[in-house]
Amino acid sequence: MMASALADPKLLLFIAGLIAATFVLSTSRSKPGVEGTVAVLNSSLLFATVGLASAVWTWIIHNQLVIGDASEFCTSEGIVQCGSVIGDPRYNNLFGVPWGVVGALAFTALLFLVLSIRMDVHAKWSETYTNYSWYAGLAGVPFLIYLIGVEAFAVHHICPFCTISHLSLLGFLGSVWLLRERRENKNWY
Amino acid sequence: MSRRRKISEPKGKDEDVRVIALLATLGVVTIVGLAAIIVSPPVKVGPLEGEIAPDFIEKAYSGAEWESFRLTDTYDERMTLVSFLDTDCPHCWDEGATLSNLHSTYNNDVQFITIAVQLSISGHDSSRDEIEAFRDKTNYEGCYSGSQNCIDRPGSAHSWTYVDDIDLSIAKDWDVPGTPFSIILDSNGEVVWNQAQSDNHPNEDVEQALARLVG
Repeated sequence: MMASALADPKLLLFIAGLIAATFVLSTSRSKPGVEGTVAVLNSSLLFATVGLASAVWTWIIHNQLVIGDASEFCTSEGIVQCGSVIGDPRYNNLFGVPWGVVGALAFTALLFLVLSIRMDVHAKWSETYTNYSWYAGLAGVPFLIYLIGVEAFAVHHICPFCTISHLSLLGFLGSVWLLRERRENKNWY
Repeated sequence: MSRRRKISEPKGKDEDVRVIALLATLGVVTIVGLAAIIVSPPVKVGPLEGEIAPDFIEKAYSGAEWESFRLTDTYDERMTLVSFLDTDCPHCWDEGATLSNLHSTYNNDVQFITIAVQLSISGHDSSRDEIEAFRDKTNYEGCYSGSQNCIDRPGSAHSWTYVDDIDLSIAKDWDVPGTPFSIILDSNGEVVWNQAQSDNHPNEDVEQALARLVG
C-alpha cells in the first residue's frame, strides 16, 4: 500500500520539484557574489512554488473527499494516504478553512517576497524582504509541528502531499537562512 | 593626477519591481486556483438544504459498545434521517415514539441516526448510561430532567445508532436551534430537508417530509 501511494505520478512530480530545489540550493554554496545569491533565490522560488502547488493539491483532495470520492486523486488505504488525514473532519481545517487553502495563501505570500527579491537583488528593500521571508516562514513552523503531530498521534496516517508542503516550508526556510547568511557575510553581491 | 574609482554598492532597478512581482504572483495563484476549481469544485458544507452535511467522528452506541462513528461512512443508497434529541427534554420524550413509528415505516428506505445532545438548561444532565437507557428503554432513573425512568419512554426501543454529542460539538456545526430537531440527507449526504427552513416547506413536519421525499 505504501509503495502504491509513493508511486503516484503526481507525488513523484512534487518530489522531483523538491529535489531540484535542493540541488539548486546546494550548488549555490560554491558560487560567489550575486551569482550565488540568485541561485539561492531560485531555490527559494522553487520551494515556494512546490509548496503552493502541493497545498492546492491537498485542497483539491479535500473537496473530493467532502463529496465522498477521492479515489482518483489519492489512495485511501495504508499508512501513507490522504483520506484519513485530509478527510478527517476534526483536523482537516483551521476554523473552517481547509488546510490546503491556508497553505496556499501562506506560500503565495512567501512566493511574492522571494520573487520580488529575485527580480531586483540590489533593491534597498531586498534585505527587509529577506527578513520578512524568514519570519513569515518561521510563522508557519508551529502549524507544521501541529499537523505532523496530528498525523503521528491522532489519525496515525501520513499524508504524502501534506508532507511535500511541510518539506517545502522547511526547504524554503533553509534557503532563506542561507540568504541571510550571505547578507551577513557581505557575500550578497 | 590619478583618478581613484569609488567602489559603491550596486544600485537597484529604477522601477519598483515589487508591483510586477505581486502581479506575477497573483497571476500564478489565479491560474492554479482556477485549475483547482475546475478539477474539483469546492462544495458548500453546512446544515442548510442544498449543502453537504458536515461530517463528524464521535463515539456512538448501537446496542453494544461505544465505538468510533463517522457519518460519511454510513452513507448508502438510502436517505438518512438525523435527529437531535436530549434525553432530558420533554418534547424528545414524546419524539421517541414518533421516531419508533417512522422507523417501522421507512426502515428500508431511510437510515436513522440520533445525535444525543445535552442542552445548556438547568436540570439537563445527560450521560452515556442515560443515552443507552433512553435508546434501549431500560431501567434508568434520569430521563426527562431526572423525573422519569427511561424504561417508560413512549415508543419502542430503538435499534439504530445513537451518537454522543453531550459536548454539543456536532449540534454547533449543524446549527441546531433546539430539540427535537431533524434533518434529512440524501444518499450523497446532501441536506434535502432541514426542519429550521420551514419557509421552503411550510407546515411540513418530519413525517410529512419523509412521505414526500421517500414516497
